[in-house]
Amino acid sequence: MEWASQLCENRGLGSKMTDSKYFTTTKKGEIFELKAELNSDKKEKKKEAVKKVIASMTVGKDVSALFPDVVNCMQTDNLELKKLVYLYLMNYAKSQPDMAIMAVNTFVKDCEDLNPLIRALAVRTMGCIRVDKITEYLCEPLRKCLKDEDPYVRKTAAVCVAKLHDINAQLVEDQGFLDTLKDLISDSNPMVVANAVAALSEIAESHPNSNLLDLNPQTINKLLTALNECTEWGQIFILDCLASYLPRDDRESQSICERVTPRLSHANSAVVLSAVKVLMKFMEMLPKDLDYYGTLLKKLAPPLVTLLSAEPELQYVALRNINLIVQKRPEILKHEMKVFFVKYNDPIYVKLEKLDIMIRLASQANIAQVLAELKEYATEVDVDFVRKAVRAIGRCAIKVEQSAERCVSTLLDLIQTKVNYVVQEAIVVIKDIFRKYPNKYESVIATLCENLDSLDEPEARAAMIWIVGEYAERIDNADELLESFLEGFHDESTQVQLQLLTAIVKLFLKKPTETQELVQQVLSLATQDSDNPDLRDRGYIYWRLLSTDPVAAKEVVLAEKPLISEETDLIEPTLLEELICHIGTLASVYHKPPSAFVEGSRGVQHKRLPPRAGSGESTESPDVGQSGPSEAPPAVIPSQGDLLGDLLNLDLAPPTATVPSVQPSMQMGAMDLLGGGLDSLMGDESDTPGGRTEVQSPQPYSDYSERELGGDIGGSPSMGAGLGAAPAAMPASLGSAPAVGGGLGDLFDLGGGVGMPTGSYVAPKTVWLLAMKAKGLEISGTFARRGGIIQMDLSLTNKAMSVMTDFAIQFNRNSFGLAPAGPLQVLTPLSPNQTIDVSLPLSTSGPVMKMEPLNNLQVAVKNNIDVFYFSCQYPLSLLFVEDGKMDRQVFLATWKDIPNDNEAQFQIKDIHLNSDVASNKLQGSNIFTIAKRTVEGQDMLYQSVKLTNGIWVLAEMRIQTGNPNYTLSIKCRAPEVCPFVYQCYELVLKN
Amino acid sequence: MISQIFILSSKGDHLIYKDFRGEESKDSISVFYEMVTALSGDQPPVVMSHKGLHFIHVRQGGLYWVASTKTNPSPFTIIEFLNRLAALTKDYCGSLSEKSVRMNFALIYELLDEMVVNDFGYIQTTSTDILKNFIQTEAVSSKPFSLFDLSNVGLFGAETQQSKVAPSVAASRPIMSSRGEQGGKNEIFVDVIERLSVVIGSKGVLMKADIQGEIRIKCFLPTCSEMRIGLNEELSIGKSQLKGYSSAVRVDECRFHQAVKLDEFDTFRILKVCPSQGEQTVMQYQLCDELPCAPPFQLFPSVEKDYVNRSVNLSMVLIFLKLRCDLPPKRSVFILHTSITPLPLSILYSMSQELSSPDQTAELQPKNKALLWEIPRFPGGAQLSALFKVDVPGLSSASLLEVGPVSMSFELPKQTCTGLQIRFLRLSPTQTGLSQRWVRYVTHSDSYTIRI
Repeated sequence: MEWASQLCENRGLGSKMTDSKYFTTTKKGEIFELKAELNSDKKEKKKEAVKKVIASMTVGKDVSALFPDVVNCMQTDNLELKKLVYLYLMNYAKSQPDMAIMAVNTFVKDCEDLNPLIRALAVRTMGCIRVDKITEYLCEPLRKCLKDEDPYVRKTAAVCVAKLHDINAQLVEDQGFLDTLKDLISDSNPMVVANAVAALSEIAESHPNSNLLDLNPQTINKLLTALNECTEWGQIFILDCLASYLPRDDRESQSICERVTPRLSHANSAVVLSAVKVLMKFMEMLPKDLDYYGTLLKKLAPPLVTLLSAEPELQYVALRNINLIVQKRPEILKHEMKVFFVKYNDPIYVKLEKLDIMIRLASQANIAQVLAELKEYATEVDVDFVRKAVRAIGRCAIKVEQSAERCVSTLLDLIQTKVNYVVQEAIVVIKDIFRKYPNKYESVIATLCENLDSLDEPEARAAMIWIVGEYAERIDNADELLESFLEGFHDESTQVQLQLLTAIVKLFLKKPTETQELVQQVLSLATQDSDNPDLRDRGYIYWRLLSTDPVAAKEVVLAEKPLISEETDLIEPTLLEELICHIGTLASVYHKPPSAFVEGSRGVQHKRLPPRAGSGESTESPDVGQSGPSEAPPAVIPSQGDLLGDLLNLDLAPPTATVPSVQPSMQMGAMDLLGGGLDSLMGDESDTPGGRTEVQSPQPYSDYSERELGGDIGGSPSMGAGLGAAPAAMPASLGSAPAVGGGLGDLFDLGGGVGMPTGSYVAPKTVWLLAMKAKGLEISGTFARRGGIIQMDLSLTNKAMSVMTDFAIQFNRNSFGLAPAGPLQVLTPLSPNQTIDVSLPLSTSGPVMKMEPLNNLQVAVKNNIDVFYFSCQYPLSLLFVEDGKMDRQVFLATWKDIPNDNEAQFQIKDIHLNSDVASNKLQGSNIFTIAKRTVEGQDMLYQSVKLTNGIWVLAEMRIQTGNPNYTLSIKCRAPEVCPFVYQCYELVLKN
Repeated sequence: MISQIFILSSKGDHLIYKDFRGEESKDSISVFYEMVTALSGDQPPVVMSHKGLHFIHVRQGGLYWVASTKTNPSPFTIIEFLNRLAALTKDYCGSLSEKSVRMNFALIYELLDEMVVNDFGYIQTTSTDILKNFIQTEAVSSKPFSLFDLSNVGLFGAETQQSKVAPSVAASRPIMSSRGEQGGKNEIFVDVIERLSVVIGSKGVLMKADIQGEIRIKCFLPTCSEMRIGLNEELSIGKSQLKGYSSAVRVDECRFHQAVKLDEFDTFRILKVCPSQGEQTVMQYQLCDELPCAPPFQLFPSVEKDYVNRSVNLSMVLIFLKLRCDLPPKRSVFILHTSITPLPLSILYSMSQELSSPDQTAELQPKNKALLWEIPRFPGGAQLSALFKVDVPGLSSASLLEVGPVSMSFELPKQTCTGLQIRFLRLSPTQTGLSQRWVRYVTHSDSYTIRI
């Protein structure tokens, strides 16, 4: 008692008690004192001394010097003392491995003690001492303990196997502990079963492909029996293990569900959630018309509701999980809306989660209730919460069409309060409502305009500008309003600047006569006075459009926008499926797959829901369950992509080079704009049909692409509302790569189509970055060397629900110093389901670091969402330079000069080419044949290759007529490149 | 799986530190403390991550109870476990405070060892029955009851919102005082605790009402004998059951502790349980959307705007509140806080008040935009009123819409809103020696909101 208060006093906690026994401050000689006490004859004194040592250890003092003395206390009958000594050992054994050996004998002896507590304690502690030498001694005792008569010892031993596996996996396998562990699943004691299952699950996680936990109906049956008997914590292990089982048919699935359901009324919420996970997963297999399916749905609701009565921490975790469940199966909680209404004393993070779920559950049936609540929330104190509540009203309007009118009037009421942040938030959501229901609620614009001056947040300003631009023809003083924004153009954020640019162009196209000056002003501000490339590019595009063909400009800028839908904030289906499999775990709290936050190999397996049941599915659209990996990425036609890549790269690659060259014509265009452009625009208004048809540009797809471009710009994807899915009408091939290439080519009059004769072999694109790992961004690509330029051809696909922008790329240091020679040219935002092909020129002047394997390249790609990392391997032929032909004499001398140790020999099998064809083929990839000799029907080709960093590789290829196998000998001063050169040979010859 | 467990004081001192898997260094403690203290209000504090290490923590007794992990375990498991650890620590040490944890560090290490069986972070058991077979260390009891502890102990450990009810001294002592010096009485406490959340609309309509209740046992009996708890015989469970004309007590759903035997529950509404030492919740129940009785309070508010001086546009908000307690006259409510938030005010000048009795107080909290009215004791059937005048410059009539809601927090002793009662409490076989049995009822307000 007293020592603790002393500690309090030392730390200034002001307790009044005085004397101190354990937690004294480090005085000189304290260690000696302790030493003496530890070696005392009296048991009590010894115990007190060990306690003092442990106390010092806890507060972070180094008492490792006492190791031998403490270990001496180990041989005792007193269990309490023994436990304390073991506690000490576990802490310090790692730093004193040699000393730890001293304890081994006692451990081994204790493992045979009569008292099961001591046996278990010994084997447990030995497992915790993470010293290699000890593990050897551990095997025998462990084997005995695994078969011990006492269940307490057996369960401790079961876990010890997992510990040992972590330290030395090979040893565990060699000793056959895994089989013993498997046997324990059928143990009579449920706690042993639970621990064996936990240990096996963990071991299995680090060996994804091993069949350690081969669950079959028999073992499942045993687990289900143990489930009823073991402790709550053991139930969690077993339920989690059950969740990884895949039942054979719906009947088995149903019988498991039936036996798991009683867990839903357990008092421990972790048990409940694990049971929910199992049910959610197995439900997938049940036919929907089954009565039991409906019963199960009903049974799931009450336990989830009950979770919300727990502490705020648990509530928060529960809400994050419910959020997932509601997205997957909204029917479970559709009648429970009221429990998600916020309480005034909920912590803010609970409130925000509840709000999110409320919107997801909102439907026509309950919308009145929801709106009434939201309106109340919008007058609360907490600013964040109020904002989210206002935003929620907007989301309701978009989700439930029938309620839109009521939502708008609620928002107008809120705007009347004139509370600054409420007004701003309301305007942002009204913009979305306009997008969703065009030409329906424009009567409110007048009210909105009254609040123009109070808007100080970029998002609200941008939204308001968008509204003014979009409805310019109905707002009498639209030009004045926009002009007022233009004054401080350079102080605005990019978002507002872009929006203002678009809005003024829209205004000009609608009221050309009065607004020429305005549009000129904004174009010049955007193109000449701004250093933001996005703004400048958009400015140029508009300028060019307006100057060449104002009617086309109208088609583009005022094009119909794709509708927005309420699904924009849903988690994408593949991720959702994976997260459902991880209900009740950290992944479900972060809403990220475990691979995103768990290091190492553990937990990297992607779990999937079982395939949907076959019967009674006619009404269901074949969505989630059936989208297997086979049909995942829409194939991109590589040749087309490559050609476009070439075009883009050759003509447009360095942006700084293109822009100035275009600029003069732009200036001229500006003049033109006011003349002919205007005329044709006016003309268009008089005789619309004629003008229209004329505008249709001859190129087959440029029209499409421009439309796309205009849609994007007009709709301002950066405003966060999201464009929803890309318009379904647009054919995939047009919507993807050509849209950019063709459109730009057309815009800048560059569409010449200078295809490079591709000499070297280019591998087809492979997927480098999975959409699942990169929040919906999928990257596939390949490398090519074209005319001495190294290129990385990438296809970026957006599989997420929102638009991606701001792409950039970086390489890690690599073996040959590969680095991007220019920025990643993704000029338009990438809308959902769109694919863009880009070619990135590479240089070899970057920083060098040897990689393993040698040709490994680590890449980071950034977009507006996050930074993603992946690694890929490039063929070494990328680095074979064009002047790699060596002089014959030099070749001979070099060949002799390189020691024979550096020679590597390879077999290239199944090549049916004669030596000349092969030699030609290789030459295309800069592998040059210097000489050829024919000896006894065997062709010997002598070849040389030079790498970008100056390394020469010499090769001798023997081709026996009639034998499809070539023999290749490679000599190089840097022998580590040989296998990679061989790879290139094989690749080139076989393709 | 749990990688480390540590307990920190509110100042960040290390009280207990235990590493189960040797994956992380001790530095993570200070990393955690920095992170948790740097959190802003709207960030969910429950799960935090730092370089692949995830911290999950709860706060109990003014201490941080933290678990760290590198894998993807169930946060429910960990939070439940930490709560259980705190509860067990309280059971074993008598109370939960920095001091008691410091004094019983050896015991807590031992508890942790046996609960997590040190085993690689797999949780083994949290039941006192099993644990007492393994635990060797004797608890060091702090002073049974001191004023310092008042702040964090509610009624028998019930989390009250206004934890100013003195805890029962008898209930806060270690369960393991086997030596019996402390008079080790054979006592058993049964609490029926209900939490009431109510939303009343602006027209006095009951919009939402929930009751969450639980029956808790705190047991000091050294040996485990079966106890029979008899509830109201007419208790009906489930939404669909017809009530008939009798005033049946009804709950929507209930959950039971694993150890509860329910064979007599369906017919006689008797719970059979062998309570282990310490505190446990034997039954949880809830009732949604319906109150068996009228809500305890009715509020008649009026909010008006008045000009103090029309020429300088100095206006004033008049808030008149009439509050009626609809409980039977014998009952009364303790400690009623009534607060109105928000008030639509950018600058609050001053407030004058007229209260109906001198022991009430009222306070203006400009920081929270709140007006707080405190009533220490409110007899049933009584009606109190208050008039507040708040000076506000430049008040628009639209902003009056923003006033409110009124939220109240209170405690109703000796009664349950569902009407759930404990008919009898029998120990069988009858205990030799003296055993005292206590039953207490209390209803707390969880969230009681009246919209203006």
